[in-house]
Amino acid sequence: MHTAPGDDTTLVLGLGNPILGDDGVGWRVAEALEARIAREGRIDSPRGALPPRVEIDRLSVGGLRLMERLIGYRRAIIVDAVETGTAPPGTVRRVRLDELPVPGQERLASAHDSSLAAALALGRSLGAPLPESPWVVTVEAELGIEVGDRLTAAVEAAIPVATTAVLEVLAQDEARGDEGGTGSCTS
Amino acid sequence: MESRTPTMQRITIDPITRLEGHGKIEIFLDERGEVANTYFQIPELRGFERFCVGRPVEEMPVLTNRICGVCPEAHHMAAAKAADAVYHVTPPRPARLLRELLYSGFYFTDHTTHFYALGGPDFIVGPDAPLAERSILGVVRKVGLEIGGQVIQARRSGHRVVEIIGGRGVHPATAVPGGMTKGITEEQRAEIEAIGHWAVDFARGSLEIFDRIVLQNPGYRELLEGDAYTDRTYYMGLVDEGMHPNFYEGRVRVVAPDGEPLGTYDPAEYTDWIAERVEPWTYLKFPYLKRVGWKGFVDGKDSGVYVASPLARLNVADGMATPLAQAEFERFFATLAPQPSAGGRHGMVHNRLATHWARLVELLYAAERLVELATDPEITSDDVRAVPTATPTEGVGTVEAPRGTLTHHYWTDDRGLITRVNLVVGTTNNYAPISMSVRRAAQSFIHAGTVVTDGLLNRVEMAFRSYDPCFGCATHSLPGQMPLEVTIHDADGGIVDVLRQHC
Repeated sequence: MHTAPGDDTTLVLGLGNPILGDDGVGWRVAEALEARIAREGRIDSPRGALPPRVEIDRLSVGGLRLMERLIGYRRAIIVDAVETGTAPPGTVRRVRLDELPVPGQERLASAHDSSLAAALALGRSLGAPLPESPWVVTVEAELGIEVGDRLTAAVEAAIPVATTAVLEVLAQDEARGDEGGTGSCTS
Repeated sequence: MESRTPTMQRITIDPITRLEGHGKIEIFLDERGEVANTYFQIPELRGFERFCVGRPVEEMPVLTNRICGVCPEAHHMAAAKAADAVYHVTPPRPARLLRELLYSGFYFTDHTTHFYALGGPDFIVGPDAPLAERSILGVVRKVGLEIGGQVIQARRSGHRVVEIIGGRGVHPATAVPGGMTKGITEEQRAEIEAIGHWAVDFARGSLEIFDRIVLQNPGYRELLEGDAYTDRTYYMGLVDEGMHPNFYEGRVRVVAPDGEPLGTYDPAEYTDWIAERVEPWTYLKFPYLKRVGWKGFVDGKDSGVYVASPLARLNVADGMATPLAQAEFERFFATLAPQPSAGGRHGMVHNRLATHWARLVELLYAAERLVELATDPEITSDDVRAVPTATPTEGVGTVEAPRGTLTHHYWTDDRGLITRVNLVVGTTNNYAPISMSVRRAAQSFIHAGTVVTDGLLNRVEMAFRSYDPCFGCATHSLPGQMPLEVTIHDADGGIVDVLRQHC
């Protein structure tokens, strides 16, 4: 069940639905990162140039399918919109997945799938190589059920902030070398 | 959770996930604390038509598969078929075979996931098991790591089929008006055939697990055969000329609760058959059969409420188109409805929990169909597209989504730009029966003085979970929980208590 890229590439995954308003912000951050790489041929992080071992992708699914996409990566950064109601729209945070304030980690994610935490636990129990605890860069959003491919102004303005947050996490993990990193970081 | 007194009048089960939508079940009790009625509410995606108007119709197969992260392949197929119809073009046979082959791979993955990740926690682990055990992890603990590995392999196999034909493993992109953008090579065909053979074994194994863990457990048999999850409604599903279910194409057959066929219709005639009931308490519209009429949220032959689901597809069918699935079809009805219907057809199965078994029969059919289609002499043909030449107008495309009959209806101007859109998604068909099933379960399990335990609420939830409902706008979910909020109101509507989990 390995789709391993064969090295210690970090996967940066923009998560969300690109036609569901602010939920599309994960894709837009992925796009911004790609644009920078295309333009500059490399990414300059706050701590210096990053190595090219970064893979950027987008995904619109959670649970088992998201877990399956993470197989083979030792490090992963997921960028996603959240609606916690505890901060103004556009607020960017970064946390470890297992630090997300979610009780009952094994509960069903949705009417159709497992939670990512349960899916990761399943994958690990089956011996799949998976990131220890993926980073999650979240953007506080105004999530609705209105179809549209535009972000609200505050969330649009958060794209560069979230992009920088991804670069910082990348640099931090790089500085840790192969330890994988277990500490927490919130901003 | 503690004991409730009969003075409490209203219970709300509020399963909220960020993008699944804010589904809510409200249960109203009478003065004696018995369930008087229940209401099921979910949000619908807004603004989709406005978003589509003005776009070229050929974009719709790629655009609409973004509606939903659960069944993008179903929207891709329904949209492509509707776009075929808009351009008055029939794809060449190899293109239709490829679409159905992709679709069979999708079904194989989707039904596997539902059974092991959703049905499994209810049946394999058990409805009264601790909450933490009721997940796919609990299922794997029960059935073993080897099966767990096979579940992941099954998902990967189905995704691989979608990727080979659809160009991408998620959100396929190759179905276009008039056919497909590409065919498959002999090497790819052989890979899919091998996947199909493996899939058949996996599906048979899954049916054996169901047999061993569910059918041979007296408690589960009681749930499967009792009244708590039973409503005698009409059923609907796409069938081929031999009246076997077909997920990709055919006519829609409707059968009455007593097994008598009401008729079949071309999907383009859906507005002649289906009307929508508007209720004052919700913006949801409840589809019903025009010819029978709306009689309220009641079952029976006089009520136009119908179900579209795996159970419905088996009930409307006279058999399955593949041999192993046919044998399971016969066992299903011989076990759960041994008496033939009045008209001589097989008996009708009305217990909603039997949908889980029906889903496995379909899983086996999808697997067998993978092999059949992959070994069709025309499957590697290059003749995969009839380029549209007619002026585009209006068209309907219908497929069976795993969770019910899915219809896309588009209108365009003569340049092929969308002017109007109507979608009837799988779950929409089932709004009324889901409401009724939830009410039936609540009435069976909640009585005056009942202790509102987690297991009991789960039994009510099981009623709608059996339909595998899709909330339209679902994409994904982080952190990925399904919180439940149970609000209990007194006779005056005041809140007595709020019970929460995961929110």
